[in-house]
Amino acid sequence: MTRHRALGLALVAAVVGVLLAPTATAAGTENVAVTVAPERISTKLGGKFAFISTITNKGGTDARGLIAHLNVLSLRDGTYVDPEDWSTNRTRYLDPLVPGGSTTITWRMQAVNDGDFGIYVAVLPESGAPVPPVTSPTIHLDVAERKTLNAGGIVPLVLGIPAALGLLALGVRIRRRG
Amino acid sequence: MTAVAQTSDRTPAERSAPGWLVVLHQELHDLWLGGRGLVLSFAFSLLVGIIAYLVATNTDLNFLEQRESTSLTLQVAIAVGGLLTLLVAADAVSGERERGTLETLLLTPASRRELASGKLLAALSLWFAAFVITVPYVWFLGHGVGIVDEALVAGLAVGTLVAVFLASLGLLVSCFAASNRVSLSLSLFVLLAFLAPTQLPAGAQQAWAGDLLLRVNPLTAGERYVSKIVVNGHNWSEDISWLLSPVIGAVVFATAAVLVGGRYIRLRGGVSG
Repeated sequence: MTRHRALGLALVAAVVGVLLAPTATAAGTENVAVTVAPERISTKLGGKFAFISTITNKGGTDARGLIAHLNVLSLRDGTYVDPEDWSTNRTRYLDPLVPGGSTTITWRMQAVNDGDFGIYVAVLPESGAPVPPVTSPTIHLDVAERKTLNAGGIVPLVLGIPAALGLLALGVRIRRRG
Repeated sequence: MTAVAQTSDRTPAERSAPGWLVVLHQELHDLWLGGRGLVLSFAFSLLVGIIAYLVATNTDLNFLEQRESTSLTLQVAIAVGGLLTLLVAADAVSGERERGTLETLLLTPASRRELASGKLLAALSLWFAAFVITVPYVWFLGHGVGIVDEALVAGLAVGTLVAVFLASLGLLVSCFAASNRVSLSLSLFVLLAFLAPTQLPAGAQQAWAGDLLLRVNPLTAGERYVSKIVVNGHNWSEDISWLLSPVIGAVVFATAAVLVGGRYIRLRGGVSG
């Protein structure tokens, strides 16, 4: 009877353990909050800028094995965005966060295209558990002034430089013959 | 090169100068006052001018951001400037053989290494002329976004490495080639082979094999570095690994051209000659 009770307790413990295990993993992201500042950034094409994200553990246990990932996308159709060009360090592996603790990350970026862009930070567990990532609010990035060239200004160069070299070559040729 | 053989015409300063300097002086004289350098520079300025005009005006190409326009023009200048040095270097020894001027050149006190060094440096002068011609175009395309300084420094550094690599390659081929036609054809073929990876689709370039191919090729690696600096605004050290193959290519081939190629400056072309 005692053996049966022990076996029963072991089974219950195993079931409870299995049931709690996903909760413990999910706690890594479910109780995490991500905020960003500022909410809106305006810059010029080629301009460098930075924003901060704060990741807070709102749960009652340590949040371990978290990864913060930066993403940027165009809010208007037709603009190709390669996030690697915007930031060379887009993935950060976070140290464990104690209950109520937080960490701040500064993300440095450069505006490679002009237009309207959305930037956000996603936090997900490194375990690869099938839980939705926690994302920050979107930062609205406005990259101004797509400079276009004054095409007319290049004509004197296009004509002048070859003409000067042609005349020089002709002069040398005439001098050699003379 | 005919004048170097006329030792009696040399000034006292030339007589005391190192052999490679005398060879360089005479090669530069032949190249630039002979008119060939100016004609090649004229053709180069036409080509770069057309490219710059197209990126500035053509509506199909106007989607290019100004940084990309500057980078494209600079990359064309580096590739074509390298081509010019390759052509001149590929003609340096085999051309002298066919014109019958190599024998008198070999009778001069200059050693074979000095001959090779002088010819190599003279070929490089075409790249520096090409770079000077490119400066106004780069200024026009890049001054609006404040990248002229970065573009010119990156272009000069990468272009010089590429030019040294290609000129050394051309000189090596010219030393070994049985005829001038073989030397020029082989050099151009090799250059085209080096440029071929640029035609790979973007997906293939990002795969590890494509990436490796781009990195080990001095031309593509150098141009990628320029693009990283000019288009992406990266700092100098961030993508410095892309300069590895241009540096190695320039050092190894220049050394080989002077040390090994110099030994094969002979009256008869071909390896067995």
